[in-house]
Amino acid sequence: MNSATTKTVTQNIADSILEPVLTPSTAIAVNNVTVSFKTLKGTYTAVKEISLTVQKGEIISLIGHSGCGKSTLMGTISGMVKPTTGEVIANGKKVEGPGPDRGIVFQNYSLLPWLTVYRNIYEAVDSALKNLSKCEKKELVEQTLKTVHLWDHKDKLPGHLSGGMKQRVAIARAFAINPTILLLDEPFGALDALTKSNMHVELLKLWNLDNREKTIVMVTHDIEEAIFLSDRVVVMNNGPEATIKEIVPVPLERPRNKKDIVHDPVYMETHDKLLNLLIDKFSIDDIKE
Amino acid sequence: MKAKAIKLGWSLVYFVAGMLLLLGMWDMVSRITKGEIPSPIATWGTFKEVMTNPFQNDPDYKGIGTKLLSSLARVGIGFGLGSLIAIPLGFVLGSSRIAMNIINPIVQILRPVSPLAWFPLGLAIFQDSPKASIFMIFICSLWPTLINTSFGASSIPQDHKNVGKAFGFSVWKYITKIMLPYTLPHIFTGLRLSIGVAWMVIVAGEMLSGGIGLGYFVWEEGFNGGSVGKILVAILIIGAVGLLLDRLFTSLQKRFTYAV
Repeated sequence: MNSATTKTVTQNIADSILEPVLTPSTAIAVNNVTVSFKTLKGTYTAVKEISLTVQKGEIISLIGHSGCGKSTLMGTISGMVKPTTGEVIANGKKVEGPGPDRGIVFQNYSLLPWLTVYRNIYEAVDSALKNLSKCEKKELVEQTLKTVHLWDHKDKLPGHLSGGMKQRVAIARAFAINPTILLLDEPFGALDALTKSNMHVELLKLWNLDNREKTIVMVTHDIEEAIFLSDRVVVMNNGPEATIKEIVPVPLERPRNKKDIVHDPVYMETHDKLLNLLIDKFSIDDIKE
Repeated sequence: MKAKAIKLGWSLVYFVAGMLLLLGMWDMVSRITKGEIPSPIATWGTFKEVMTNPFQNDPDYKGIGTKLLSSLARVGIGFGLGSLIAIPLGFVLGSSRIAMNIINPIVQILRPVSPLAWFPLGLAIFQDSPKASIFMIFICSLWPTLINTSFGASSIPQDHKNVGKAFGFSVWKYITKIMLPYTLPHIFTGLRLSIGVAWMVIVAGEMLSGGIGLGYFVWEEGFNGGSVGKILVAILIIGAVGLLLDRLFTSLQKRFTYAV
């Protein structure tokens, strides 16, 4: 073995180690992340030694039962939760806190009730995109509101909007700062089925408008939602010390049609698989004498 | 609209009924004391007499309106200064557990002290009785605002805090766009309680301090001047002004309460 080959081999090993971090197509790399909280009863470990890589432009869902730590895992990506051990790399940089490259949509809209729809988005843009001029900021807010068809409602307070509209404002707010990564924490959980369906389509529209370049990570407990939107579904074990149980790919062509997709054999197969992973027992055991 | 008018009409009827009840009892007391306590009609005469030229402002005699304004001015200055300190301090206490733990015992010790006890201290510091009254108002209007503001600031929901964190709000933006709007209804509750206390205390303070003001009027012209009628007139004016101040702050409070 001459020195040239040795060098190539070493190079290859180095590359394979660094690849998940350095490859330009990697948007998010979760490396061996554990999150523990100190409680009165002692240390509670929500998620344990989780590793996950998300490609640029990919939509993935984190799914699992309540309290399985999916929101916590998401929090480590957004920077709202600090990992106890391990690290998260987003856009090639270690996550140290929330940043404008990652837009967050919270579970309960989290709009400021004393600000109008317009001001809610403007204040976020004003803070996150500091190098824009006031004029550019206003233009950006106007353009965003028009894209999500909320321009007519710009002067309303959140209290006067329906749940679906509130969530559209929250999503518009996250999109307005033009993040490369969008993080959605059970975004549609509080909506009725019809509104939910419309919102799925709207979300994908926004994603398409941007040439499908944004990476989206979504926490959900809705299997249909996860399949319709995602490229991969990450199924988590029950907490405490939750880990990834399995990552299920969703090999369905895009654009996906909400009505047709449910009859697709691939859809049904994926649906069954996810259901099996999430629910252990399908029937109640017969009562034995 | 019509329902609203009917509701307003009824509340007016109840108000008049309450007033008639008060006047009836007052008249009865007057009869029992054989005129020692003047009857409502006699008091009305005194009221008209007091109200002639109310804003007279001569060195030897001040009208009742002038006295009222001077009392209000002292309350305004003391209350304003107190609020100017209580609100920001309330923000600090509400945001920092450490600050709360340090300051709270001090507040708990000073708060139950009768406002009048601060008067001689103010007199010792300022060597001037009107300033001492202002100092007394200042101290007593601190506590309700401080306690309510810090409670409001400490109960900001995590959801709102998350917004500030997620979008990188500056400290100034956090204070003006999240903390202040959320806390505003609590602040107004505190201010309303404070102005109520301040208005009660000013009368007592002016009895001690002398000079001009409603409290001095009650003491000097009413009691020392031997006119119970004037005392009654002053009581009614003090009550009416207190009610108006309370209504003013209630409407401000309503104005700044937002729909969630």
